[in-house]
Amino acid sequence: MGRPRAFDEDEAVEAAARLFAAHGFEGTSVDDLVGALGVHRGSLYKVFGSKRGLYLAALRRHLDRDVLPLTRAVAEAAHLPAALAQAAAAYDSGPAAGLLLLSAAERAPLDPDTAALVEEGLAALEAAFTGVLGEDAPPPLAEALAATVLGVRLRGRATEGRPGAAAVLALADRLTR
Amino acid sequence: MAQLSIVDDTLIVEVEGLDKLWALKSRLEIPLANVRGATADPGIVHDSKGIRMGGTHLPGVITAGTFRSQGEWVFWDVHNPAGAVVVELADERYSRLVVEVADPRAAVALVEAAMRAYAAARPGPA
Repeated sequence: MGRPRAFDEDEAVEAAARLFAAHGFEGTSVDDLVGALGVHRGSLYKVFGSKRGLYLAALRRHLDRDVLPLTRAVAEAAHLPAALAQAAAAYDSGPAAGLLLLSAAERAPLDPDTAALVEEGLAALEAAFTGVLGEDAPPPLAEALAATVLGVRLRGRATEGRPGAAAVLALADRLTR
Repeated sequence: MAQLSIVDDTLIVEVEGLDKLWALKSRLEIPLANVRGATADPGIVHDSKGIRMGGTHLPGVITAGTFRSQGEWVFWDVHNPAGAVVVELADERYSRLVVEVADPRAAVALVEAAMRAYAAARPGPA
């Protein structure tokens, strides 16, 4: 007890988040993690308990560093088109870009703790749109807009460089007309 | 090969067949409160095992028994790396167990589900 950790935990979690975002939970082996994080296998188990423990820490970090700051910025957008364009451009981006979408598809159906983190990230986006739309808009509208952003982001993963802004701006145009 | 099961709030690791002899141990019982996680980890077999404190180590054939590595006690029972599962413990004699099971994915799911049920039944300080 009380022995100092032999590595920077935050750096290790970020490196893990990048790996998980690139290869998924199943596709990332403990060998991959030990190699990329530069830590002893024993230290990795001692600090995180399991690969799943490290995965949850990585997803938590991605939410705190990338997803939630972006949704806060979206909530402060001046109008709906700006909010949608911002979200379509940068939701679930950063060093571990795509980790939230990947977690939603791969691990959330199997692991309630992952599902809770994914839900937190999705709910934050919906809440941001609710704020921009104002009290009068029906809540399902914010959900529909968030779903559109997710779809555009997912489409962007399949076709690199495909701009998502045009699609959401067309939607915003129709909604605000 | 070992068999993992959950009885009440305890993880039971049953060492099967002749491995009881090689490992000098037939059964471990770990309260779920002391189980921190389980991970399928075939690659761990290629790491240094540390110093054998009791049991059998024929590199590439079998690692079974109690080993001491980097100040930690680790229990091993692995022939085939593909089935290796790491169970990380707290407040136990062993820091971790590395055991070969028939279905690593199912074993990990079993331990995680048991940990989740245990935690849900005892809301902690969060």
